[in-house]
Amino acid sequence: MTAESTNSGTSLYKTDARTKRRNASEARFRIYGMAAVGFGVLALIVLLTSVLGTGLGAFRQTFLTMPVALDAATLDKKGNRDPAEMAKVTTIGYQKILEKALIAELTEQKLIPEGMSAKDVGGLISKEAPAQLRNKVLANPELVGQTITFRALANGRIDGYFKGRVTMESAALDSNVSPAQLELADKMRAANLLGLSFNWGFIFDPDASELRPEAAGLGVAILGSLYMMIIVLVLSLPLGVAASIYLEEFAPTNRWTDLIEVNIANLAAVPSIVFGILGLAVFINFANMPQSSPLVGGLVLTLMTLPTIIIATRAALKAVPPSIKDAALGVGASKTQTVFHHVLPLAMPGILTGTIIGLAQALGETAPLLLIGMVAFVRDYPGAPPEGFLDPASALPVQVYNFTQRADPAFIERASGAIIVLLVFLLTMNILAIILRRRFERRW
Amino acid sequence: MNDMTLTERALEATEIKFAARDVQVYYGTSHAIKDVNIDILDKTVTAFIGPSGCGKSTFLRCLNRMNDTIDVCRVEGDILLDGEDIYDKKVDPVQLRAKVGMVFQKPNPFPKSIYDNVAYGPKIHGLTRNKAELDEVVESSLRKAALWNEVKDRLDSPGTGLSGGQQQRLCIARAVATSPEVLLMDEPCSALDPIATAQVEELIDELRGNFSVVIVTHSMQQAARVSQRTAFFHLGNLVELGDTTQIFTNPKDPRTESYITGRIG
Repeated sequence: MTAESTNSGTSLYKTDARTKRRNASEARFRIYGMAAVGFGVLALIVLLTSVLGTGLGAFRQTFLTMPVALDAATLDKKGNRDPAEMAKVTTIGYQKILEKALIAELTEQKLIPEGMSAKDVGGLISKEAPAQLRNKVLANPELVGQTITFRALANGRIDGYFKGRVTMESAALDSNVSPAQLELADKMRAANLLGLSFNWGFIFDPDASELRPEAAGLGVAILGSLYMMIIVLVLSLPLGVAASIYLEEFAPTNRWTDLIEVNIANLAAVPSIVFGILGLAVFINFANMPQSSPLVGGLVLTLMTLPTIIIATRAALKAVPPSIKDAALGVGASKTQTVFHHVLPLAMPGILTGTIIGLAQALGETAPLLLIGMVAFVRDYPGAPPEGFLDPASALPVQVYNFTQRADPAFIERASGAIIVLLVFLLTMNILAIILRRRFERRW
Repeated sequence: MNDMTLTERALEATEIKFAARDVQVYYGTSHAIKDVNIDILDKTVTAFIGPSGCGKSTFLRCLNRMNDTIDVCRVEGDILLDGEDIYDKKVDPVQLRAKVGMVFQKPNPFPKSIYDNVAYGPKIHGLTRNKAELDEVVESSLRKAALWNEVKDRLDSPGTGLSGGQQQRLCIARAVATSPEVLLMDEPCSALDPIATAQVEELIDELRGNFSVVIVTHSMQQAARVSQRTAFFHLGNLVELGDTTQIFTNPKDPRTESYITGRIG
């Protein structure tokens, strides 16, 4: 008798038809899964490349650097260096000074092309630059009479030329810039009078008008978003956690609590613009709170975030093993002691994760803010809290929307740049959520 | 001298700690405990035995009102602790549970340090005035639970890091730290290996000197080893209650006999 003959027809070395089918279906499922993951990763890569590709340019800006003689005769006629008196000189006066300084510098370096008018040369400088110079002088009147080195923003078209947005061909058709100006800009760059450097103004400066894309920044929007996040956190975390603890640990199960539960779940699914209409009707029209203010924005976003936080918190509370509750009750802890000494600390990682996810959602929310006036053009920074909560402000996602609505192509780059800033904030918050969760979990 | 202590014990042992009269428990519409009348004596170990679902754990949880946490559960009848009805409206279950401690089936230490686990009860009940007293209570409780020598050098390490048997003894230490008068144990050894079980059983025997102990168990051997009195539950009824020796050697009810000989259960 050989070894083979003892096998009664079925050998372990041979896969039977049924097993083959099962293996095939498993292999198919793996392929589906991998395809789904691959598609997601691909979409993310495409998104990031497109945003980073267009947006990174916003973080670099073209500046002209030149000595500027601050002529006392024009800027301070009375000679007493009184800022109130000096404020009578408008940006037009400063524009002339800048123009003169640029022409003087170019003449010295023998760069001025034949037949180019002073106005065309001055056109290289951004219209925002005189205002910045004026602010600088008014802040420090002692500068008058001196010659300072001033870094002036270049016109948006010139900036676009160095970023590839504007070409000689497009400039020939453009009434705002001429090929001759671009040639001059090239020469100035070679002479180190003009160059690109990191654009802090994009992060800290307020928004600028349609004609000055080079000066537009996110300062007001970032501050507005920050204020709103503070309001959302301060209101929605305690309210949400208190509501969840009551519903999960104290409330009797009856028709009312069922109704409340269903409604909370429904609220989480309500389109955000509906909250905007609610905010407009209740907070602005009824309660007469100021429009465009971070307070109203924060309140609306709080309403929107609450259901998310409540649902996450309840899930976290539910996940605490009942044996821990039994143990606490068993040694004679009251219900409140049980919740606050044992259940809540154990649920904390989940609560924090839910809260930060809710905040991140609120940070990226645009629609409700449009309705309560945060879409307005705001150039003044809101004041310090708490009064600042009532000042008009913008918000990051609304600023993105605003930038995309403007005609000048330079704003495309700004919009993507703002998206990058927004994504960085969201990423930071998510990392914070992970760190907090780890911290709380690692304790035991 | 020896004889005198024995007589004293015997006298004490006849004091009734818990008296239950016509107790009914309902879970929604199902009638889980029917007409239970039982006296539980002080400084005695009483074992509740019976097949799964017979209501012994349910009845045990009535004794410190742990069933209050279950919404659909309803208790009728009287349960008297030292003559006071524990289901009276004036009774706060929190105070009751300080007097009637409980050890659960699965070891459930808090995810805190060993010290904090034991100190929690005394802290919330304000039993100690200062840290030194609290330290003392923690040490004596851990000694009573025969755990002190194993953990005295690592009181700050998490209670959840101990072995299963140590965790259960920690839970016992936690329960005795509030100096209860009665200790309820719901199958305290079901998650333990034989060695840990033996340690816990030894402990129960020692605890009898100070407390009245009620233990629910699935193991008849365990009931026979640790208890002086045994109650047999079946389908929600208290079938028979008597001295452990009598129940196991000379049961009066045929159902008890069937159960202890292994024919039902």
